[in-house]
Amino acid sequence: MLSTTPRGIARVLGTVTGLLIGLAPPAHAIDLGFRDFQMHGFASQGYTYTSANDFFGNSQGAGSLEFTELGLNVLGHPLPNLLFAVQGLYRDTGGSDENDFRLDYANLDLSLPVSDDLTFGVRGGRVKNPFGFYNEARDAIWTRPGVLLPQSIYFDSLGLRTSELASDGGLLYGRYRFGDHAFTTELTISELITDPTTVDFITGFVAGPGTLSGRPLLVGRAGYEWQEGRFRLLFTAVDVDQDFEPSSPQGSPGNAKIFAPLVSAQVNLEDWSFTGEYLRLDSDRSGFTPGGVLLENTSESYYLQAQYRFAPRWSALARYDALFANSDDHDGSAMARATGLPRHRFYAKDLTFGLRWEFLDDWLVAAEYHNVDGTAWLSPIDNPGINDPARVREVSDGHWDLFTIMFSYRF
Amino acid sequence: MHLRSTAGDRLGAVNRGRRLGSLPFGVCAAVLTLWCVGAGAADTRVVPYAGSRGSVTSLTRTELRDIFFARQTKWPNGDPIRVFVLPDRHPLHVRFSKEVLGVYPYQLRSTWDRILYSGTGIPPTVVNTPQEVRKRADDTPGGIGYAEE
Repeated sequence: MLSTTPRGIARVLGTVTGLLIGLAPPAHAIDLGFRDFQMHGFASQGYTYTSANDFFGNSQGAGSLEFTELGLNVLGHPLPNLLFAVQGLYRDTGGSDENDFRLDYANLDLSLPVSDDLTFGVRGGRVKNPFGFYNEARDAIWTRPGVLLPQSIYFDSLGLRTSELASDGGLLYGRYRFGDHAFTTELTISELITDPTTVDFITGFVAGPGTLSGRPLLVGRAGYEWQEGRFRLLFTAVDVDQDFEPSSPQGSPGNAKIFAPLVSAQVNLEDWSFTGEYLRLDSDRSGFTPGGVLLENTSESYYLQAQYRFAPRWSALARYDALFANSDDHDGSAMARATGLPRHRFYAKDLTFGLRWEFLDDWLVAAEYHNVDGTAWLSPIDNPGINDPARVREVSDGHWDLFTIMFSYRF
Repeated sequence: MHLRSTAGDRLGAVNRGRRLGSLPFGVCAAVLTLWCVGAGAADTRVVPYAGSRGSVTSLTRTELRDIFFARQTKWPNGDPIRVFVLPDRHPLHVRFSKEVLGVYPYQLRSTWDRILYSGTGIPPTVVNTPQEVRKRADDTPGGIGYAEE
């Protein structure tokens, strides 16, 4: 539907022009002529159709083209073991992402080999958060197994996305290898990056507008890999502790603590890859409402995924992905009674089948079909009224289908 | 197995066959069978190629993995490492990945994409022909690629 509005047309033309410029493509990267400094970029345009509910813009009816991801980066080594890297990103996914242009990462990375087998390093600046398998590079479809990542863990339409992706601060890392075995560890200490939707998410949608502050975000990740990833195991933990200051006198200050452990495992065979991740998100919220009591909640998310590389440029994807807003209330009945919202607002079970085709070097198209039961990860901005007990039944449907396709070019 | 690794051209193989003709039949047949099996898999071998830096055959598989997965960026003498590779589906790239590094090519690509789009490393430079890999490795200080011999 958006393609018929001037803004939609301009967006599509801009993307197509970008892709056409790419038709005389630079050979894989642009060499900047100073040491190994080089520039890379990518342009991805998607289309999304849903049978009910809206995802990435007004996706019902004629579908939505509000799914654009453009990136440009410069990387190089000023010194052999000092890395400079910066990436700018333009991204539009309807109400789920209204930040347009942003600095995606901008960091210096100094690696300090202690011996042949042991390396330590430090990275500082705007760093991508080490979270599970896919988080750090997820806005380039080239790193994704399909069009969309499992939404139960890699939130693309919920407010936590901005904070999930990157943060401003520093990161220490280490890697120890022993033959075919490697052990890795990373610890990030940084300032949370937030936008208004993140604040809503962290405060639990009850606090109204305001700002967050508090001690730095901590993200730790430890991993094991065998033979460069034939088998990979990761354990990630995120720890957030933020105080909320309302911007209006009617609001009440509060505090939100979130602790999120994530376990990830992957097996990579010649033609097949199998991946699973399991996340719990424990939140303790106090204040926010006059006389507010401590509200504790634990959500639960997991997915199981198979990829099959059945021909040289092709791969197929099958995935079952589930999110439960409360781990003790999988069918949402208790939360439905407490809020007046339908049960489907408190879970989402998504069965996905997809295909991905790299039809030329550095060009790909991916398409997938989702059969979804539940609406827990839908954006309240794209779906106004979905958190309103009086309107939610009219504006949403618990059972729905989603089809999405994306083209991408990169250099 | 050393026969497989040195049987580069047909002429050499024929000469070797003649010399083997004077050996007892059983040994001769066994060696020929071994050679045939080797030749059936590949007539040549793939080796890391560091151009003007001379031989890099002393590098172990583990060290080569550190270099080609872009974790090691500095030679022991302090020079920067520059890595040159062929496109993912080029037969020589596939052979180098599997036979020398002992990994599937998609493992390399997935690491390179992750480091590129997360700002944590620089993937190798992709060039189009084996000749270009050699030339770039020759011309670039600290350059390394691979070659068929």
